[in-house]
Amino acid sequence: MFIKRAAVAALACGLLSTAAFAQAPIVIGASTPLTGPVSHYGQHARWGSELAIEEANAAGGVNGRKIEIDYQDNRCNPAEAVKSVTQMLATKKYAAIFDGLCSSVALAIMPLVERAKVPFIVANASATSIAEKSGDGGNKWTFKVNPTDASMLDALVGWLNKDGKAENIAFLGEDTDYGRAGSAGFETALAKYGKKLVMADYFQKGTADYTAVLTKIKAKKPGMVAFYLIDADFQNGIKQWFTMGGGIPLTGRVLVEQVPKEVLSSGFLDGTISVQPYDVSVDTPANKAFVEKFTKKFGEAPMLISFESYETINILIDAMRRSGDASPEKIRDALPQTKYQSMLGTTVEFDKNNLIHNNAVIFGIKGGKVVILGMNKT
Amino acid sequence: MDWSFYAQLLLNGLVMGVIYALVAMGLSLIFGVLEIVNFAHGEFYMLASMLAYFLTAQWGFDYWTTILVVTVVGVAVGYVLFEGLRLALRGEAFERSILLTMGLSMVLQNGAVFLFTTNSHLLESKLSYQNVVLGDDFRMPVARLYALGLGFAAFAVLYLILHRTRIGKAMRGVAQNRAAADMVGIDARAVSRLAVAIGIGLTGLAGAALAPVYAVHPLMGFSFVFKAFAIIIIGGLGNISGAAIAAVMLGIIESFAGGLLPLALTDAVAFISMIAVLLLRPQGLFGRGVRV
Repeated sequence: MFIKRAAVAALACGLLSTAAFAQAPIVIGASTPLTGPVSHYGQHARWGSELAIEEANAAGGVNGRKIEIDYQDNRCNPAEAVKSVTQMLATKKYAAIFDGLCSSVALAIMPLVERAKVPFIVANASATSIAEKSGDGGNKWTFKVNPTDASMLDALVGWLNKDGKAENIAFLGEDTDYGRAGSAGFETALAKYGKKLVMADYFQKGTADYTAVLTKIKAKKPGMVAFYLIDADFQNGIKQWFTMGGGIPLTGRVLVEQVPKEVLSSGFLDGTISVQPYDVSVDTPANKAFVEKFTKKFGEAPMLISFESYETINILIDAMRRSGDASPEKIRDALPQTKYQSMLGTTVEFDKNNLIHNNAVIFGIKGGKVVILGMNKT
Repeated sequence: MDWSFYAQLLLNGLVMGVIYALVAMGLSLIFGVLEIVNFAHGEFYMLASMLAYFLTAQWGFDYWTTILVVTVVGVAVGYVLFEGLRLALRGEAFERSILLTMGLSMVLQNGAVFLFTTNSHLLESKLSYQNVVLGDDFRMPVARLYALGLGFAAFAVLYLILHRTRIGKAMRGVAQNRAAADMVGIDARAVSRLAVAIGIGLTGLAGAALAPVYAVHPLMGFSFVFKAFAIIIIGGLGNISGAAIAAVMLGIIESFAGGLLPLALTDAVAFISMIAVLLLRPQGLFGRGVRV
């Protein structure tokens, strides 16, 4: 008898949950690196977006419709992304395309979404050219939520200049849109104060040995060194900088979570001042709640990528709710009217280049520890 | 720029060159004896580094024990690889060996990604952050100096084996003329098997020696092996001494190029040198038409 009742109850629950989302789901297409050298970031992009969608569905979805997301692997390779996103757009009706993650990939996806007339919402790619090519007079289907390298470096250089530290900065970055946008962002921001980079050099992604260029940088005796390296490149670069006794603080986008504990605690990097769009220790109630939920669900703390993906999907869902029928065209029209309360404590909206200007987190290293110095508008 | 800048570049280049040589000598030895270009060589280097990482970081092995264990495992893998290649190729075309080893490379690399993810790891051992410091600016990490010493030692031992032992002379005989070696009673299969085992063992040694120097991750083999191909072509295909000398030359040239020119040109140096050698001296700088 008990089993029979339980079966009926389970069936009823199933029917109710189906009835809750009786209409066809709204599907978002996502392109992110799920394999390849930056797949760890791709995984966090996936987790951040999944958490946002789960919460939105628990709150009734979009006007009674369930939200779903399809992920396609792009290996952080523009050619792979063009192939997979073209296939996605040809085979299914997506309400929007999400992310790309890598700058070169996002730039490659932009013409595809423009042709297909589907909104493309960028969460993580930071190249300034994405925003420069979007909005008024450009690609009206592309929207960028995270700050560009230029806007972030504007915030950083403003801070450095205030402290009299914007003189004599050397730059080392990967020879990709990410690295090139980093040096261009520095040059533009420094030019506002009549300064420029003392040197800029670029390496092929995947390079293991930096001793030659680090010897060159050390010999130039700059005041600070801007590193635009990620993952294994960053780990190799920072370790070799340490073993060579670099003795010069870093700036740019320093991935402090990847600095070996021994290097950080030694005080070697003291004096470093860096910028990131996010830090897990940002002291706002919304961020604390996000960190707790994320860590509980995925077993590790969120990082920049997870935060950006989470907020970007929330902004997209907000536009879907305001759009009425959540068709691609209506979503595109709704996005520019966004007023979203970010976890970083500001209300953000898109500018004429479809770019959001959130706060950036300025942090430093003091006494072998990472400390948040403040926030600066991007 | 003072003298320490150039001295630092020279020493960096020398260490880098010996690191290249460790990988290139194994590749050259296998080509010399089997006429097989092992495209999976970089993946064996990567697997050796990962094994060294796990032995040290997870199981607490010390540096020298790790070097020994990984090199011995490399030799054992070389034996298995030889038998696998022999069964798969059965004396068939050179092109087939290229496809086979490229396929093996993909399987090994993606297998490592599947098992360990693409996250990179830094080996944190006592050796990782120790330096030899001379004056104010001249520094060399101890792990690199050990790699330098191991590279020289490996070259010396390999040279002595090839030139002073019967088995080494047999290897050179098989490399020069397999049919003639068969006729004078040399067991070409056993000799070739040993050559592949030594070749992969050398790669194991390189992987273990460099695990405390570079971040360890499944995609690390790719860039090294392409550089190694350029080196064995520059040095003369199948010529071990040529590969070692070309590797050291290339390491030093790259270091000076990286220190004095834009870094992006550094990688081009190896391939420009390779093209120049192919145009001016197709048999390689040290090639004499006689292998190993």
